[in-house]
Order: sequence, then structure tokens, then C-alpha cells
Amino acid sequence: MAGSGSAHLRAPEEVLLRVEDLVVEFPAGRGRRVHAVSGVSFDVARGETLGIVGESGCGKSTAARALMQLPAPLGGSIRLDGVELTGLRGETLRRTRRRLQMIFQDPISSLNPRRRVRDIVAEGPRVWGTGEDRVDEMLEAVGLDPATASDRRPHEFSGGQCQRISIARALVLDPEVVICDEPVSALDVSVQAQILSLLEELKKRYGLTLVFIAHDLAVVKNISDRVLVMYLGKTCELASGDTLVRRPAHPYTRALLASVPRSGLDLPPADRLISGEPPSPVTPPSGCRFRTRCPAAAPRCAAEEPLMRRIGPDQWVACHHPQAPTQQGPPVS
Amino acid sequence: MPRRLGWGFWISAAWIALVLGAALAADLLPLPRYDETLVGPPQAGPSLAHPFGTDGLGRDVLSRVVYGARVSLGVGVGAVLLGLLVGAPLGVLAGYRGRATDSVIMAFNDIALAFPSLVFALAVVAFAGASLTNVLIVLGVLGVPAWTRLIRGATLSFAGREFVIAARALGARDRRILLREITPNVAVPAASYAFIGMAIAVVAEGSLAFLGLSVQAPTPTWGGLINEGRAVMDNAPFVVLAPSLVMFLTVLSFNVVGDRLRALTDVRQSGLEPGRRAPALAPAAGSRTTVVERAGDALLQVRDLRTHFVTGRGVVRAVDGVSFTLERGRTLAVVGESGSGKTVLIRSVLGLLPGAGVLRDGEVLLEGRDLTTLPPKELRGVLGTRLATVFQDPMTALNPVRTVGTQVMEPLRVHLGMKRRQARAAAAELLSSVGIPEPARVLRRYPHQLSGGMRQRVTIAMALSCGPDVLFADEPTTALDVTIQDQVLRLIHRQRQEHDMAMVLVSHDLAVVAQWADEVLVMYAGRVVERGPAEALFERTRMPYTEALLRAVPRLADPAHQPLRLLGGRPPDLANPPSGCAFSPRCPYARERCGTEAPPLAEAETPGHLYACWYPELVGREREIDREIDTEGVDTRGR
Amino acid sequence: MILLRLVRLLVVLLVVTFLSYVLLNLLPGDPTTQILGLSASEEARAQLRAELSLDQPLTVRYLGWLGGLVTGDLGTSYITSVPVAEALAERLPVTLELLVAAQLIALGLAVPVGVAAARRAGRTLDQVLTTLSFGLLSTPVFVLGVVLILIFAVKLQVLPATGWTPISLDLGWNLTSVLLPAVTLGCGQMAVYARLLRTDLIATLQEDYITLARARGLSPRRILWRHALRPSAISLVTAVGLNLGALIGGTVIIETLFGLPGVGRLIVDSIFSRDYLTVQGGVVLISVGYVLVNFAVDLVYAAVDPRIRHA
Repeated sequence: MAGSGSAHLRAPEEVLLRVEDLVVEFPAGRGRRVHAVSGVSFDVARGETLGIVGESGCGKSTAARALMQLPAPLGGSIRLDGVELTGLRGETLRRTRRRLQMIFQDPISSLNPRRRVRDIVAEGPRVWGTGEDRVDEMLEAVGLDPATASDRRPHEFSGGQCQRISIARALVLDPEVVICDEPVSALDVSVQAQILSLLEELKKRYGLTLVFIAHDLAVVKNISDRVLVMYLGKTCELASGDTLVRRPAHPYTRALLASVPRSGLDLPPADRLISGEPPSPVTPPSGCRFRTRCPAAAPRCAAEEPLMRRIGPDQWVACHHPQAPTQQGPPVS
Repeated sequence: MPRRLGWGFWISAAWIALVLGAALAADLLPLPRYDETLVGPPQAGPSLAHPFGTDGLGRDVLSRVVYGARVSLGVGVGAVLLGLLVGAPLGVLAGYRGRATDSVIMAFNDIALAFPSLVFALAVVAFAGASLTNVLIVLGVLGVPAWTRLIRGATLSFAGREFVIAARALGARDRRILLREITPNVAVPAASYAFIGMAIAVVAEGSLAFLGLSVQAPTPTWGGLINEGRAVMDNAPFVVLAPSLVMFLTVLSFNVVGDRLRALTDVRQSGLEPGRRAPALAPAAGSRTTVVERAGDALLQVRDLRTHFVTGRGVVRAVDGVSFTLERGRTLAVVGESGSGKTVLIRSVLGLLPGAGVLRDGEVLLEGRDLTTLPPKELRGVLGTRLATVFQDPMTALNPVRTVGTQVMEPLRVHLGMKRRQARAAAAELLSSVGIPEPARVLRRYPHQLSGGMRQRVTIAMALSCGPDVLFADEPTTALDVTIQDQVLRLIHRQRQEHDMAMVLVSHDLAVVAQWADEVLVMYAGRVVERGPAEALFERTRMPYTEALLRAVPRLADPAHQPLRLLGGRPPDLANPPSGCAFSPRCPYARERCGTEAPPLAEAETPGHLYACWYPELVGREREIDREIDTEGVDTRGR
Repeated sequence: MILLRLVRLLVVLLVVTFLSYVLLNLLPGDPTTQILGLSASEEARAQLRAELSLDQPLTVRYLGWLGGLVTGDLGTSYITSVPVAEALAERLPVTLELLVAAQLIALGLAVPVGVAAARRAGRTLDQVLTTLSFGLLSTPVFVLGVVLILIFAVKLQVLPATGWTPISLDLGWNLTSVLLPAVTLGCGQMAVYARLLRTDLIATLQEDYITLARARGLSPRRILWRHALRPSAISLVTAVGLNLGALIGGTVIIETLFGLPGVGRLIVDSIFSRDYLTVQGGVVLISVGYVLVNFAVDLVYAAVDPRIRHA
């Protein structure tokens, strides 16, 4: 179940971004540590969208910021186009990091309230002295009229429009990878749909590679080519969205899917697939971190951490007792 | 940011300018010199020649006050500049760097705060010499800890924001981030504190002067003038009152300016700011309901409820003529996007709106009794026992400084008159009925010691404690994770069945609504646009807005990258709603009539299924209609 | 936890005493001039310096002074030949009574004013109270003191303008003599506390848990006193601790203005007579008091706010 391992990674030359064994910890006072991300691996090929899904505290946002080295992770390797990011310092880091950009959840605190939209979007080109000709183009690309929007400040815009400004700021430096950290979670459904299709459109137009993080499985599935499920700082399952929804193998994936109301999926009620509440990331369970809530947990799950392994053509799972892809009904242990 | 600073600000600023100008131009003004004796009779009262009178030596008090302003303001401005120049960099450093740098700077700061500053200033000035420079330096240095603390706090609150992370991702260096991202945001609180600091410095200089330890005679200072004036207080009170008044006004002005500037930074961006006047409720835009509500025996009936907020932008029609009927044992879901008025509707039904600037009209009948006309005391009795409420955010729903036990027991003791012991037992039972393990232990806990899911269970237990007839659940699971959401919704549903309650479930999540509601009410721009049995409404949708909501949500069963149906535009400004159907500017089917005439609620073929649309037959046939709608256009409406 | 705080407390006290000792001794001015006069010979001065150990390095003198401090000996004034500790102990009750009375007046008025204003936020009563407290806040203590003396002592002649009657002599007269100084000192603080409480209460009254308490049919009175006041009282407690510095500064002025024989007056007099050791003793006494009160505030804070207690 929720475990580590890197069997699901592709060959380094096939991918644009390769993250291996990422570890992020924070001090939690009295010498204890929050194990936010504990040995997470994933990769993204050029032009691909990787979705990362999980509930609060699973470490998905922490992992996203670790990719940007903000702050730098405790351990692991992050390779962008073959360049190792984790060891970089100073100028080299600054130069390399700009190839990755980020979009955040909170449209309000993503934008400096005291700056004009034009200054916000033009910040990147100004830092690098590359000229501001792309600024208007980006504003137009995200659906804002440069003539009327440029001189306004963020508080004059709605949440959806702020998110568009954030996207323009992220894309203006022509990044290779854009990390979207819950970009639509704070938005109404109609605006959410607008932003999702905008991202799809911009991805095609500018050949972007996306890492899309959200807690809503349906949203993640809609935009992603592959979906990674995380739980309490570990990876659970990696598969294409369609496979994940049709043949979920990890008990936690199944519980997540079953918890979605009116999903139309053939799954038992969620209260039979998951129980209780997530344990504290300060003192995570031994072995498989999901075992405390898993109906199929066995002694082995406490003793031994499951590693990611392949169970289908495009499906990897970290579980000692995965739901066999062809089977229906309760998992055999 | 030209926000309203208020007339107090401008009067104060004018006074400061006046005093400052007089001090600077003192030599040019037609005044006797401050040290010239016997310019008039000693201790003479205010006159045309000497507006503030003369002191014991016959010196002109006005002149002495004007020259005294040089010292007071000079020290005020100088000390603030010194404190700012030293304290601000330290504060920015501590707030931006954090960790060890922060700890060291703040440790020194705490120690510095422990010095008795006035006593220290006295000693230093006394021993080092009472010159303007010394006073200025001492007061400036003593102001540094406060500056450091303030700037650090402001920096800290912005350094963690996403826009700073974004700037670093763009490759901006620390210096650029401090200059472009942090400084503009810290500038306003700093400017505000500069004025407060000047008030503090002026008072401190006055105190030193009062004790005879500021700039020495013959140079006049305000504190010194007040001290001298005490001697002739019996015969010539104006000698002491004049400088006192000027000093008071100056300090007050500095404080007012600082205070108004600070108010700029914490402006609430809510449209619910209570206004000053409460004119009569604007008439509803035509009688909207053509279907007569069944009267009589319903458990809860809301008739033509309207709730308007009087704001600076005009009257916001947050809820504008909503009616519904709820029977025992049923769940009614209220659906809509943010700003549709669904939360205001619930608070309006329960009478939980802020006091000022709110207008409410309509009837809320609980078994035939109108709650809107009940006296407050009786309404409280109804609220506590028959109507219960659960809110969205379990983190803020419980009082952080009271134990779970006190809070759960409170309604039991207040409304049911239980004794402590009995209430405790009942509370434990309630907690266990909502699936909380070890209820006796949880009763002794504080809210922050529980997880979000557990807290929401506690608020549900509290809501159920007096056996209510109707449970109002306002987005009860929106702040929770999906797996917990499922648990909580199941719990609420089970409790509703067990207690034979009715429920009003407010949600933006159509899937949740589809799974748990018997009836659905869709709100748009403060009005009901569609209403009816859940099944009929979802399967035979008659209103384009409902349809758009349903289609905008990605579905799990759909293949990846399935294009979503887009709903363009944005909700209307409720202070200035469009004419006709409020949805028409965004509606793919809208025709001419929609923009001029508001459609009434009409009944569909399923009994009880109502919709507000002129062309319901078009719904579901959007492919045949070719109408482009802009995505959200830029508009200047503040949020 | 408590132990760690005590250690921190000691460190702070050490640093404060050291810095104040060094600073006061580095300031220009020669105590021998004060004692022997300007005309004294250099030999006499040198001899006196040796007698008073002034010829030793600063750190040595500080350590000696610190050693004395532990045993309660703060040295003996060069000027008055009275042991500093004795002089301070004699004056301390006056200052303490003034401080306590001022705090009581300030808090006693601030809570009802703050609550009344917050309850009717934005209405006339609130605007009047807010404006009044803003005015009080902006009135320097010596201005307020002078005005109050003018009204109550000079014009109405109902209260004494200056002078002090100890409690031991006559309680009634004692209270009369402390009333005007305490009101003068307390008024400004009252304004600070009331404004703080008002702002905090208004914010608290907008919290979800207050709306939910209303939804549970609890009376406004109960909501205000049982639900809203306690979270807001927390910031008030902190303010009381942090404002102690300002209040102590105020006592120096008040004691001078009203002629009260307190520590503040002693310090001012000693400053004028260059009585270094007495000034030093006074500064240390005040710093220690400030630090100890804030230490106590921290403990109270933890007791009032469970979020801090369990952090």
C-alpha cells in the first residue's frame, strides 16, 4: 500500500522531469519532525500532464514546492532534462529554476496586492532583461484584454481572473514545466471549467508539460495523462486516469473513488473501504502508512513497506494486497 | 488606493501642516521673540495682541508655543527617522530571513524592551547633557525595538505569501523581492506607525522637558512651558493651558493620521459592510411567483423572503423573493455558486444577519408560526430547540478557549434545564451517537486537539442536542477531505432519518446534492431559478443555469481530456442586476425577451418542479444554437 | 518548560543589569566632582576614587555590584550615604500602590467601555466612546495631570494637589492622596485597553462560533460574557504586561507632578544629584519588575488560552 519505490520510473532519457526518492521533513517542535514527503518518486515526459491526487496532508503540495527548491528537499533527486536540481546553489539554481513555474491555489495571495497586473506579469522578463513584448501576448492568451487589465490591481479582479493573471505570469518566461498546485480548488464550478480548459488550450499552444495537483479526482482525471495517488507522504498508485478509475488496484484509490458521491462506479460504499482518520505525519505508521485505515491490512503490512510494482501495462501500485485488475469484490489477502 | 480616509484624517493632517509650517517659519511670523520679556503686562489674559496671553515675565505665550514646536516636532521627526533607519532593516532582515537571524534579533529586541525607556532617557540626557541632539538620539534609539517588532511582523506576514514564492520562481533575487514585493506592502503599516511614533516621541520629549531634562532655557519647549506654567496656575491658567492644548491637538493629530493610515491596510473586501442608514426595503422586481405555495400544515415554509444589504455601492439584493416549503423527513438542497445568496438565505431564515444595514422582508413559518415577527427571547427558544445549524468550517465553528464538554453541554443546560452531571452524561451519549470514540475523554478536550472531521462531528452533536425539527447544514463538508466528507454526510443522513428531522443542505457540489437531497432549489443572483424533486430536476432540467452547472463539472466516468461545457461570463452585480432574466447575459439560449422581461417560476410536467425560464424547451439542445459568449470579461467591480 | 523560561529570565536580567551598569558608567560626568566640588585637588579625587573602587575596571566593578545584588546590597549612595536598597525599599510601597491603583482604574473602566462599544459597533455610543478614548490616549500624562489639578485642586479644591499620606497613617487620607495621581496615570491606559478590547471583541463577534452560538438560541448577554470575552481577554492580558513599561515611565512624571515620595521621584532626584548608584538601583528594580510581570503574564496567558498551553 502507501509506500516507496521507483519501479514506475521510465528511462531518464524518455522524461523531462524525473523525481526520485524525494524526502521533505519539517521540524515540529520538541525535536520531532513532520514527515511530509517520504521517498516519493515520479516522472513526467515532455508534453505530458501528470496529475497528483490525495487528501490534505498527503504531501502533494509540499512535493510541488520541493520541486522548485522552495524550500529545498531534505533528500532525493530532481532532474530537469538531465540536470540535477537538488545540488544547485545561487546563480545556477536561479537560472535553472526559471524553467519550472508554479500556479497556486489561493488566487488572492498569489498576486501582490500593491502591484499592477502589467508589473506582475512583466516581472519575469524584467528580472532576465528579455523585453516585455510577450506580456501583452500572455494576457491575451489567458483571456484578458491587455488594454483594460494592465493598469489595474489584483483586488479589482474576480478569483478566476486572478488565476488567469497567475497563469500569464507563470507562462511569460516560456517555462518547460508548469506545476499547478490546486489551481481550481478555490473556484466555483463554472470558473473551474474555464480554467481547466484554458490550461488544456495553453498546453497545446505552448507545448507545456504540466504537473497538476488537486484533491478532486474527477478534475485530476479530466486534465491528466497519468495520475499518481499519494497518501501521507507516500505513493500509492500510478496509472492512466481511465485505468485508475476503471480498475483501481490500491485500497486507498478505491476508497477515494468510492467516496465521490454519484460517481457511477461499481464500488462498495466508502465506509466499507476506509475507516477512521489519517494518522499524524509526525508519527506515521510503520510499514504501509495506509494500514491503520485499510480493511485488508495484514501483519505483513505493519512489518514491511510495500514498494511500487507493475501490475498492468500502464499501472503501478505500492501494496502487498492489491485489488487484482481483473477481479471484482473484496481484495484477497 | 484612494480609499476614504475620512474628514478626521484631513483635519488632523491640516493641523500638523499648520504647526509644522508655523515652527519652520517662526522667524518670519509677526511674533515677538520668545525670550523678549514684558512685551505686554505679565500674566495678562488672551488678547488680540497676545492670543495666548503673556506669562509671568510678560513674554508672549503664542510665540513661545510656536518656537517650542521646533523642538517638539524636530525631536518627533528625527527620532522616528532614526528608529526607522535602524529598526526597519533589522525588522525586514528578521522577518525575511527567519530562523536563526530572526531568533537573535528578536531576543535582543525583547531585552531592549525590558529597559525602562523613560527612566533611561532621563539618566542619559542628564549625564550626557540636555542638548537637542542628545534628546533626539536617545528617543530615536529607544524607539528602535518597537520599529523592529512592527516591521518584522509586517514582513513576516508577506514573506510567506505565494506571490513571493512566485517571484523567486521567476528568478528574482532577494534584493529585488524585498524591494518590489515586500517593501510596497510594508510601506503602509510603516507610514502609519511613523505617525504614531511621532506622537510617542513628542510626548516623551515633553515628559523630559517637563522634568527639566530636555533642551535648556531660554529655548522654549512644550513640556517646559507646561512645567513653568504650573507656578502661575492659580492666577493665569492660560499660560499652562495654551501649550497643553496645542500639544494635545498635535499628539491627537499624529495619532489620528496614523490610525487612519492603518485602517487602509485592513479593509474588509466584503459586500456585507453594514451601512449607516437603513431606508425602507426596495420593492421586489414584480411579483415573481405564479405558483401559490401550499399553505397550512408544512413544517417549515418560507414565503417571499427578501434580504438586502445597504452598502456603499447601493442596495445589494442578496436574497430577492425566495419561497420554499419543507416537510418533515425531507432533505432540501440549496444549490448555487458563490454569491448566489444561498448562505444569506439560511442566515436570513434563522435571523442570524448582522444588525445594521440589513433589510429583511417576507415570512418564515415554522408550523404556521411566523419567526420573523417573534420577539427575540421567543425566537431564541425556537432557535435553540427546534432549529439547528451546522456550518462549513469546523475549524472556526467551536470556541477555541472552551472545552468541548462545556460547549456541548451548554444548550442542554440552557434550553433543557439539565443539571451539570446529567448534561455531561447526555453530552457523552451525543458524542458517541455521532461516532466519536472515547466521548468522556473528548469532552475534556479543547477544539484544537481534535481533527477537522472530529470537530464537525462535535458541531453536529451540538446541533442535535435538543432534538431539533429542522437541521440547517451550510456546506457541512466543503472544508473536509473526500473520505471524511463521505463519513460526515452519511452520519448527517442517518441522524436525519433517526430523528425524523427535516434538513436544509446548502452546497455548491451537485454530486453531493444528487446523492443526498429529496428536493433541490437552485439559486442564481439571489433568486430561485429552478426548484423541484431531485430526480426530476437533474434528469429533466428546464433552466439553462442548472444545466450549465451540471455540465461544467468533470465526471469520473468520462474519458480523460473530455472537453467541459463552458459557462461564460460571471454572476451579475447584485447591487445593479441586469434587466430581465438575471442569467440572460450568460445564457446560450437567450433571446430578446429574456433581456427585458424576468420570467416567473412556472410549473413543469412533474408536480412541484418549478423553473424560471422563457424557453425551457431549448435546454439540452445547445449544439443547435450557435451563440458565442465571451469568457469572463474584465470588470471593475471590487470583490 | 517553566525551567527553561526561568533560565531565560535570568539571562535577560543579567544582560539588562550589565548593560545599564555599563551605560550609566560610560556617560560623562565625574562623581568625585559631585562629592568634593569643582575645586577639589587631583590627589583628593584620586584618593576618593580608590575609596569608592572607581579606579578598577568596569567589569570588575560590575561583578562586585552583582555580588552585592545577590545579597540584597545595592551599594551605598555617595551623596546621601543611605544604602540604595534601603532608600528604594522605603519608596517602593508608594509606587506600587500608585501602579496597582492605576491599573485597577484602567481595567475597571476599560472592560465595560470596550464591551459597550463593541456591542454597538458603529452606533452612536460606540463612536462617542471611541472618540473619547482616542482623545485620552493622545493626552500626555503631565498635561492630563496639570488639567486635573487645575480642576479638582485649584478650582474645586476637593482633592489635594500634592502630598502623600501613607496607608499606615490614615487609610482615608491615603486614598484621597492617591486618587488624583492614579486617575491621571490610569486614564491613558484605560484608553489603550478599551480600544484594544473593542477591536478584539468586534473581530471575535464575527467568528463562526459566535454566529453558531446565536443559532443555538443563547442570549446576547451569555454570548458576550461566556463566549466572546475570554478569547478577547487574552490580548488584553498581554497588553497589560507590555504596557507596564509605559506605566512605569508615567509614575516618574506623576510622582514629580504630585510630589509623591516614590521610586520615580527618587530616581529623578538622584539623576539631578548625579547619584549613580541610586539611579542604577532604580533602573534595575524597574527592569526586574517589568521582566517578572511579563513572565507572570506569560504564565497567565497559557492558563487562559488552551491553544498555547498545549502547543
